[in-house]
Amino acid sequence: MAVNRPFVEGPEWIKVVRNATKLVNKLEANSWDFDTVPQAFARTAAADVVAKEVLHIHDGHTMTRMGHLVMGGVGGAFNLMGPIPSDSRFMVTDSTALNEVKKNLGSRGLDDLEEYHELTRRYGELQTVKFFNYGAFYTLRDLVFWLLVHDAGCFPSTLETMVRHFAAGHVVQNDMYMPARPSKDRERPALMTTGACMMVQFPSTVIEWMDKPMFGGLAEDTVHIEYLLTLQPTHVSHPYLPLVGEGKVRLGYQDFYQRTFAGVTPKDALRGPGVPAERPTKKRK
Amino acid sequence: MSTSALFDAAPGLSAVLETSSFHLHVRGAIPEQLCGSLVVATSRRDKDRTRFSRWHDSQSDLLRLDLYPGRPGRVQAHFLSVDPAGGAMVRGLRPEGFYATQPNHGINIRGATLWATNLLFGAPLEVDLADWTPRRILRYLEPNDPAPQVTSTSHFAWSLDRRYTYFHQSLLARESQGGNVVALELRLIELDTVTGREHVWEIVPPANDASLESANFHSAFYFEENGRRFVGLLRTGAILECLEAHTAVHDHRVARMPFSTIWILPIDDDPSVLHASLLSGLEALPGLALSHLDVDASGGDGFVLYANYKQADVAEETHGVNIYGEPPEQVMEHYAGMIVEPINYGLLLRYERRHGTATVRTFSRPYSPGRTSLGHTWLPINMQLDSSGQRLFCTFSGFHPRLLPRHVAAAYPDLTVDPAGIRHVPPLLMRFMADTLEPDFDPQRRHLSYAEPVAIAVVGDGGTDYVCTFAPEIGLRIYPADDLTRMVCNAVSPSLMNWRDSHFRPEPAHMQFVAR
Repeated sequence: MAVNRPFVEGPEWIKVVRNATKLVNKLEANSWDFDTVPQAFARTAAADVVAKEVLHIHDGHTMTRMGHLVMGGVGGAFNLMGPIPSDSRFMVTDSTALNEVKKNLGSRGLDDLEEYHELTRRYGELQTVKFFNYGAFYTLRDLVFWLLVHDAGCFPSTLETMVRHFAAGHVVQNDMYMPARPSKDRERPALMTTGACMMVQFPSTVIEWMDKPMFGGLAEDTVHIEYLLTLQPTHVSHPYLPLVGEGKVRLGYQDFYQRTFAGVTPKDALRGPGVPAERPTKKRK
Repeated sequence: MSTSALFDAAPGLSAVLETSSFHLHVRGAIPEQLCGSLVVATSRRDKDRTRFSRWHDSQSDLLRLDLYPGRPGRVQAHFLSVDPAGGAMVRGLRPEGFYATQPNHGINIRGATLWATNLLFGAPLEVDLADWTPRRILRYLEPNDPAPQVTSTSHFAWSLDRRYTYFHQSLLARESQGGNVVALELRLIELDTVTGREHVWEIVPPANDASLESANFHSAFYFEENGRRFVGLLRTGAILECLEAHTAVHDHRVARMPFSTIWILPIDDDPSVLHASLLSGLEALPGLALSHLDVDASGGDGFVLYANYKQADVAEETHGVNIYGEPPEQVMEHYAGMIVEPINYGLLLRYERRHGTATVRTFSRPYSPGRTSLGHTWLPINMQLDSSGQRLFCTFSGFHPRLLPRHVAAAYPDLTVDPAGIRHVPPLLMRFMADTLEPDFDPQRRHLSYAEPVAIAVVGDGGTDYVCTFAPEIGLRIYPADDLTRMVCNAVSPSLMNWRDSHFRPEPAHMQFVAR
């Protein structure tokens, strides 16, 4: 989401925090119905993950997922949220493992996909950004409070997906990023990536894939290339992407069976052309 | 683990079976009340969304999830994939494109026997639950060249003691020049689940609802009144312009469905013909595709029926230009042949007939993003009473506006939602009060859950109830029926998401629990 108030100086910040507390209390008292706090609706929402390059490693006990995300956005600051199991380790790390797998396979990752090149032609030049102000939300109240403090807002339907993750005992990790050259043009949004990888690791006896991303108002689809590494041969396939290759790779001193999936998938919660994003039923006062 | 075998139930009736079993990863605890199995009929198709494949015809894989209570407990999945093409199960030579059975929708269980059904086409498949092998196909009519397909009720009616089950079956005759597909030889079948004895009656349609173009019945229910037995058939009213799946995909004429009705059949052991009459009191309801139900017929004097109108033309499927005028190539989420989207929000029905008096209540609600705690009724799917009969759990599939074809909406200009004013509507599970059909509103929102699979099973012992939801990609979720904001269990497996390189679409609609 676009973050309209990434930073505020000291005394003003106190006012912002108190006001956000008041609003989140009101929302909670009104069953989280946004019409009672119209400020909770996102006003600008042109930000999405537009492409991802992900390495999934499953050793029979632990799921390790690391990847590069490519984000598009209109605005000066953004946040990236994602649910993870509550017993996860989350970190931003280097790309050594992902690069090693690509090198083994002779793959250039996203650069192998024509759809990705099309994307880079449509968007502005790729900018390197850094994630900062990492955090995690344990309740819906935490999450909405943060969005109100930073004037990011959200859409009720999208929020309901997060509500389900809280109900499942997940936490929602969150971080911010800012492009050096922001875009104000929806036709040519800023295209951003980090040199580093985001990594999440959690116990699981089975391979677990990521959820399909929700539409954030900018990109209706996501370009993926995803590598699955397992110690044993597997028929496990990706829920949406076709299998484009399989074989073996060596990572460090360990051999893995690998399956590669690539393609383009639609985001969830798309709307018709010209149809505005979710907004209050009543006019704002 | 995966195995293949040959199913050879009778001469000319054989198929290659594939079975596989695996464990799910379980987080949380499986409650003691859930010692048993959940049975699901799944649909599977190619991952390539541009490849047209009619949703009714999608490959059927039956799934049995064995639940072992504990913390975390165990869940073991057993898939039974019955002849992917379906053709080998047909008795004798049949024209291509028609199958004897393709049970990818309904689940009907009594004891150790499952009868799995398609949502419109073919005959029920009888499966031994314990052995997880098919026994026979319940087809009572012989297809022929002008009428090469049968249609059967997806959700059977059950006698009060659950010994007898009832369903409709008829032939489907090909469309004529300028005409639509029609049903022929309408039959009601009674199956004694103890002895296996079958009774087949001819059905004579009500004089005031006699069209055979729309004579299909997705669900049935049973009740007794004044010492007599009755079966109610929900006349869905799907009208097929063409019996076969499209070979070329383009916008086409859509025959408008009539509003749904309910046929009442008095059961009599003697005559071979049953004369249907219409259940009164529903004439004023502008409801399309009346289908899924739950019924409280206890006491033997009338019934309380809970059912839903989908407001969707269930004879159609997704293809062609959408309501925004966008061709499929421009619609990233387009899925050729997928389940049809509704044209507007649906309607829940509570029909009570006790001591000769009928009372009708309805509930419908659009989706308001600013007031999500109120829920909605977009594409209602399941309705199930809890073990006390006091609360009713309903699921709603929601709405994807860009998947509604223009040629389908054009047949219902007076009923179709304004495309400019509607957005994506998320799926929903919601709890209602059974006596009033009003939402069982809770300020803490423990009465509803968005982003939820539509297949549910409510399991309880009269004291504590649990609601299970399931979709292959999301896995199994278990909630206390009192609190839909807190899962007690979530079980997942990647093997539920796909079979080789195909995947499970559309999401399964129904699930049933059977105690061990």
